[in-house]
Amino acid sequence: MAVTVYIPTPFRRLTGNRIYVEGQGGTVAELLDNLGQVYPALKDMVYDQQQEIPAHINIYVNKQEINALQGKQTPLKEGDEVAVIPALAGGSTAFTPEQVVRYSRHIIMPQVGSTGQRKLMDAKVLIVGAGGLGSPAGLYLAMAGVGTIGFVDFDTVDLSNLQRQVLHHTKDVGRPKIESARDTIAAYNPDVKVIGHNEPLTSDNAMEIIPQYDIVLNGADNFATRYLVNDACYFAGKPLVDGSIFTFDGQLTVFIPGKGCYRCLYPAPPPPGLVPNCAEAGVLGVLPGVVGCIQAIEAIKLILDLGDSLNGRLLLFDALAMEFRQVKLRRDPDCPLCGDNPTVTELIDYEEFCGSPFAMAQHA
Amino acid sequence: MYKIEKRYVDEMVAHAVAEKPNECCGILAGVDGRIAKLYRTTNIEASPYRYNVHPKELLQILDEIDDNEWQFSGIYHSHTFSEAYPSPTDVSLAFWPEALYFLVSLADSHNPVVRAFHIVDGKVTEEQLQVSE
Repeated sequence: MAVTVYIPTPFRRLTGNRIYVEGQGGTVAELLDNLGQVYPALKDMVYDQQQEIPAHINIYVNKQEINALQGKQTPLKEGDEVAVIPALAGGSTAFTPEQVVRYSRHIIMPQVGSTGQRKLMDAKVLIVGAGGLGSPAGLYLAMAGVGTIGFVDFDTVDLSNLQRQVLHHTKDVGRPKIESARDTIAAYNPDVKVIGHNEPLTSDNAMEIIPQYDIVLNGADNFATRYLVNDACYFAGKPLVDGSIFTFDGQLTVFIPGKGCYRCLYPAPPPPGLVPNCAEAGVLGVLPGVVGCIQAIEAIKLILDLGDSLNGRLLLFDALAMEFRQVKLRRDPDCPLCGDNPTVTELIDYEEFCGSPFAMAQHA
Repeated sequence: MYKIEKRYVDEMVAHAVAEKPNECCGILAGVDGRIAKLYRTTNIEASPYRYNVHPKELLQILDEIDDNEWQFSGIYHSHTFSEAYPSPTDVSLAFWPEALYFLVSLADSHNPVVRAFHIVDGKVTEEQLQVSE
């Protein structure tokens, strides 16, 4: 396909000062390859080191931006008009005077600094469950300045939640948890954008919700959701900070796609009814505070690329013995999800997989 | 020395104030060494510390500039809390070396400041502005 490519002033020095050049290709990607052969300097502008089109390059086909079409795979036909235009973009790296003060204890640490604080402010974290674990994790991430926090939760606040779920207050009983979470976070830090997904996480919506975020923090209270989040994070390539609690005990780890997953640790769920949930067995109210806060720390370490992640380790907390222990985790080559010969290649029916359709509505 | 009519300076400041606390952005088209038209554009980032001219508007404006045989003379944006000087982000994303980059600072809300810079290959050089009525 021969197409006409419009070259704006900043790129004309790369194309011998031509405003329009001819190019060949059946898709935008093929056209860019073709142009790159004729004008090598142009290729360096339109592809980054990963051979992707950088965010600051806008490409249009017949005046339509390709991100609204099919991206690099947008098909081209004879006579189409393509434009390759660098974005007009920038921005101050300065903080508002209030942010300088609010985040001063972070900014003075060399491991965070203003660059790290900006990373936190640009980060998007999804928290599954605005309950026992999601409450302290969400609060501390919000106070740390994490710019976007999403919650998936379809529950309403129950009086029995208030023994531990610090996102919710007595006046919130009966309200949707995501609304109460939004209000609490806004009162602590109005900088944070809270996105509420007021629906159960399912195989139908998980791949729409999870890819919108950088990191997922699991505070689910049931096995079906836990396997679903694990599989969806693996498919979406998102790190998963996993935590769980039971009476006086907590478990924590970080799953990085390709370096082990929940199925490597627990290939199959327990038989339905064998493991009671928090509503049945009870839970020490402070316990999710400990575990959720560690999850928040691990999420921040991932965002800032600091320290040693819990990836590859399972941290076990025993509140009665007051002991932390660790066991090593490895990717299982026979894992049905992330092993060498995977059999789980798309999201499945997790309630059927776990065999307990209804015990799942209650929250940790 | 770059000559600019006061009404364009005032318009850039008015746009910055209107978008505050978010950054505003816009484009200046030129002809025969003076400004032909000032375009207010949409900042798709809608952020106090980022700007990005809406790609669709950018293309339309470039078309109009070419159709009228104007030049793409300048880009302006505001810094609502910091000085009127290109930030490291501004410099790293300055892909229009032929254009003059105008910065509007609202750091002192009573005294907005407008300055202009050439940003070429990562080097920032200030261009003095001569404001006429």
